[in-house]
Amino acid sequence: MVQINFALKEVNCKIVYYGPGLSGKTTNLEVVHQKAPGNSVGDLTSIATEGDRTLFFDFLPLNLGQVAGMKTKFQIYTVPGQVYYNSTRKLVLQGADGVVFVADSKRGKMDENIESLGNLQENLKEHGIDLSSIPIVLQYNKRDLADVYSVEELEEALNSWEAPHFEAVARDGQGVFPTLKRLAGMVLESLNDQHGAKRSSSISISRDSRTDTAHSSSAATSMASPATPVAASERTGTARVSLTAGASTATATRVRTMVQEVPARPVTASSRLTISTSPRRRKRRAGLLLGFLFATAITATVLLHLAGVIRILP
Amino acid sequence: MVTDSDRLRDQRLVFYREDLDQIDQVLVEFLELSGSKCNLLIDKEGHMVTCCGDTKSIDQQTISALVAGSYAATREMAKLLGEDEFSVLFHQGKRDSIQLSVVGDRTIMATVFDNQTTVGMVRLYSKSACENMEKIFEEIGTRPANKATLDAEFGDSARGALDFFFSE
Repeated sequence: MVQINFALKEVNCKIVYYGPGLSGKTTNLEVVHQKAPGNSVGDLTSIATEGDRTLFFDFLPLNLGQVAGMKTKFQIYTVPGQVYYNSTRKLVLQGADGVVFVADSKRGKMDENIESLGNLQENLKEHGIDLSSIPIVLQYNKRDLADVYSVEELEEALNSWEAPHFEAVARDGQGVFPTLKRLAGMVLESLNDQHGAKRSSSISISRDSRTDTAHSSSAATSMASPATPVAASERTGTARVSLTAGASTATATRVRTMVQEVPARPVTASSRLTISTSPRRRKRRAGLLLGFLFATAITATVLLHLAGVIRILP
Repeated sequence: MVTDSDRLRDQRLVFYREDLDQIDQVLVEFLELSGSKCNLLIDKEGHMVTCCGDTKSIDQQTISALVAGSYAATREMAKLLGEDEFSVLFHQGKRDSIQLSVVGDRTIMATVFDNQTTVGMVRLYSKSACENMEKIFEEIGTRPANKATLDAEFGDSARGALDFFFSE
């Protein structure tokens, strides 16, 4: 789930590459790592077996740059494709904002593709997510092989809900960027739909703010800025961690942590009204009024006494 | 059946700037008392919330993702042993070590320290630091959720950024 950190002015999204074993998920990440602008991607970390098969996940941080004043980052993961590692797949899938399903186009692999897609559906369901409700893009990989299914066959078998699809030869880098670009666009669009400010009402008023310090909301202060990749961590090469194969299983924990500055309290008629009618303020005003009346009565009594009209003491 | 995900989604946390200042204060105080190098507060999805100390030499994003993965994997081990979770994890290295302490339901504090201090010191002070942060989280959790808003230009700007980034 997207983390919007207004304090650090960051948006963090999680993208997961899913698919059957050896369909090319890690290759996709390697291509992104190689081809993306040098200062915009971090190290590609891969927790793999000695046989170079993904054991837990591959991870690639990608910084898109400033988007409307927010540093927009994608954390890209792959899952282990082998059936055996379903529990780790579930963990990695937890909190995903978008999924790229990498299907193997090679003839004879359809059953594995269908099984993996069904597994994706099941695992998403366990997290309370419907496959059709999450941004998802299908990538038909290995299109360069001689004996492959036609796109129509793959579409019919795998894409019943008409998600965007791309043909790819990940090994040569073909189709990798268009796939990721489309999914990233869908994720950000979804984020904007859920959390984007309307142009006419871009400032929200916090009723429970404990301080009177007015911070400008991001909507009020940040400007739409051109895309400028953020220099994050230097790309230092692929760090592949080899472990002895074993089932590191994990369950999932879904977290939604949103950090935002205290919304601005604009000085408008409505906000003034809110302040003047607060119970605390009304109480203070009543106290002042009573005090004033009491002081006036005492002063009047003393003056009347001095004038000889009344006598206070016998 | 209400899953963990549903529960967390319903109990969405919203941190305000002032909350983060409070959390930072606790982290800095803990850093000084324990003599550790740096502290990172990470949510269980692997996104960093805040950090303090000497974090320049650390790839914060990757560490955050791996911390979340490590915690989640050991949580499953804990379940196999009949525990809900292991609330403190410790990884010892030759020079630097890292302790992971679960803070509330949603976050993990990762403390990196070296030979300048001891595990005992870190563990001793981390307990009270976690308790203090949990109190802050509880306070935040009781507030009504405010709708966070992104800039009105976010959508257009995002499209421009994607076109720029993915231009081959």
